[in-house]
Amino acid sequence: MGSEHRRSTIGAVAATCVALTVLAAGAITARAATPWWTPVGLRGMSITGVSAIGDTITVRTAGGTTLESTDAGKTFAPVPGNPALPPTGTVISGQQSWHIDSSGRILHATNLADRNAGPLPDPGAPRLGPGADLIAAPAAFSGVVVAVGTDGTVWRRGQDGDWKQALLLLPRSLVQGVPRVTSVTAFTQPLSGAIYVGTDGYAVLISTDGGDDWIRAGPGLPDAVYALSADSGRRAVYAGTSDGLWMHALQALPQPQSYQDAALVWRWIGIGAVTIVAAALTLFAMLQLMPRRVSDPTS
Amino acid sequence: MQRPVSERATVWVQRFRAARWWPSAATLVVAELGLGAALLVPITFSDPNGVDPYVARLSIASVLIALPSLFVRRLAPARAILLALAAVATTYTLLSAGPQILFDLFGARSGSFDEQVFWASVAQAVGTLLIALAAWRTVAPEWRPSVRLGRLGLGGLAAGVIGTALLIGVALALPAGLLGRVALQPVAVGRDFPYLGPANALQAFAQEVQFRGLLLGALERTMSPRWANVSQAAVFALAHLAISYGGPEAPFVPITFLVGLAFGWLVRRTNSLWPAVIVHAAADIALQFGVVQGLYGF
Repeated sequence: MGSEHRRSTIGAVAATCVALTVLAAGAITARAATPWWTPVGLRGMSITGVSAIGDTITVRTAGGTTLESTDAGKTFAPVPGNPALPPTGTVISGQQSWHIDSSGRILHATNLADRNAGPLPDPGAPRLGPGADLIAAPAAFSGVVVAVGTDGTVWRRGQDGDWKQALLLLPRSLVQGVPRVTSVTAFTQPLSGAIYVGTDGYAVLISTDGGDDWIRAGPGLPDAVYALSADSGRRAVYAGTSDGLWMHALQALPQPQSYQDAALVWRWIGIGAVTIVAAALTLFAMLQLMPRRVSDPTS
Repeated sequence: MQRPVSERATVWVQRFRAARWWPSAATLVVAELGLGAALLVPITFSDPNGVDPYVARLSIASVLIALPSLFVRRLAPARAILLALAAVATTYTLLSAGPQILFDLFGARSGSFDEQVFWASVAQAVGTLLIALAAWRTVAPEWRPSVRLGRLGLGGLAAGVIGTALLIGVALALPAGLLGRVALQPVAVGRDFPYLGPANALQAFAQEVQFRGLLLGALERTMSPRWANVSQAAVFALAHLAISYGGPEAPFVPITFLVGLAFGWLVRRTNSLWPAVIVHAAADIALQFGVVQGLYGF
């Protein structure tokens, strides 16, 4: 085989290799981009506050206007009197409640039915700073609470009452600062133990184990999320963003499909056949391309 | 009529050069094509990530391709490269399947998941060294890779430290969303570091032996240093393609190509594998604890 012919052969093989890689990467990436969030409405508007209960969704725009939808977000209309959204800073989980006071202390009431049972400062709880008001507690995990300090630190309370730093956001780049934690929410009915944290640079982060481990859960969502609201009735989380209102329907985290039926055998047979054919073709091509004699200047 | 000696010499040099670098290039391209097909073609008719999450298909293909090179004389020039690729694939399967294997063998006595990952990483490093030993014993001296594990020195140590600082600086300079390095998780770091820190260092060591030791060392025998480095970096990049469910590592391919180039340059510059091991270990540990995974993996 001549040198020129070899070169063109290798060039063709290399081009095929690259094309295959690009095609496969494109196909796989497309599957990974399946929307986790879907737009509800108000695209183009910056939404800084959300409150959702059933079909009624109330939002606050960056311009200071309060809008309300009574048809699950299909249409919005201004609310007479333009009231502010209800204040945050208190969360109820079962018979317990936690409240952030004006100085940033976290107060804990251990039994809401008993008026003598608090609220008292939660032992070991951090000082969140004056003005802090972001707190959430998933009803599915009794005693678990996530609260956000004014310095942006996300704290979590374990079921044993132990408070620890759970999340420290990093700068967006050397020239951009650390995004703000703008919101935190969880389902107040025991539907899911997920805790959702909204940021104005990294979209939404989720923890499903009470705040120990986090994942980025914002595919499809604008990076700037200003408000979150979990609605147990509709099993949905609403996000107010720099580009309108978005919704996430409660669902399991993506996981590889598990096959236990006969299809598994056929899949393995197919994959095995491809593996053997690929290896055989590779060896054949290699034997064709290899020099017939090992290079030896004396031969 | 016999040609003049000078003309014969010219012809011989051309032939010799062609024969020396073409087999390596052909081996690398064709083997990558074959392994890529084994990895990706099943996506067209099946769900290989669900059926074969540990990419056993890639390991089997790499072994099927490498084994004949031990016996077929014509494939001898390809032996070192094919063994390097087999080391990459088989030990990755060992690493990813290790925790499940340990649990199946020892049940609850296999420890926490972090412990299982640590022992799987030990297995990956040991497996890599065994394949490197096999390459050392079976590859002819003229094609035998120079693994460069013998020396570090103060210069190498300094290069490792400076390289680590540079890499962290670059990682912080790049947009956070590109890498997913959006936050630290202190609870997870405190829980995982005792096992996953050393595990990541072991994985980095294994990968450096595979890519900059075996592969670069073998390619350097026949290619110019620049092309050898580009080639191993390309394989390093492709090795990061689509190994997690949903293929989210695809965006890492261009980054890992550049990182592979830098590691190759560092190894050649210091004539030691250890500076790259240091930087790679620091990078892997930083990725482990500084990157928040996405819904579909990275």
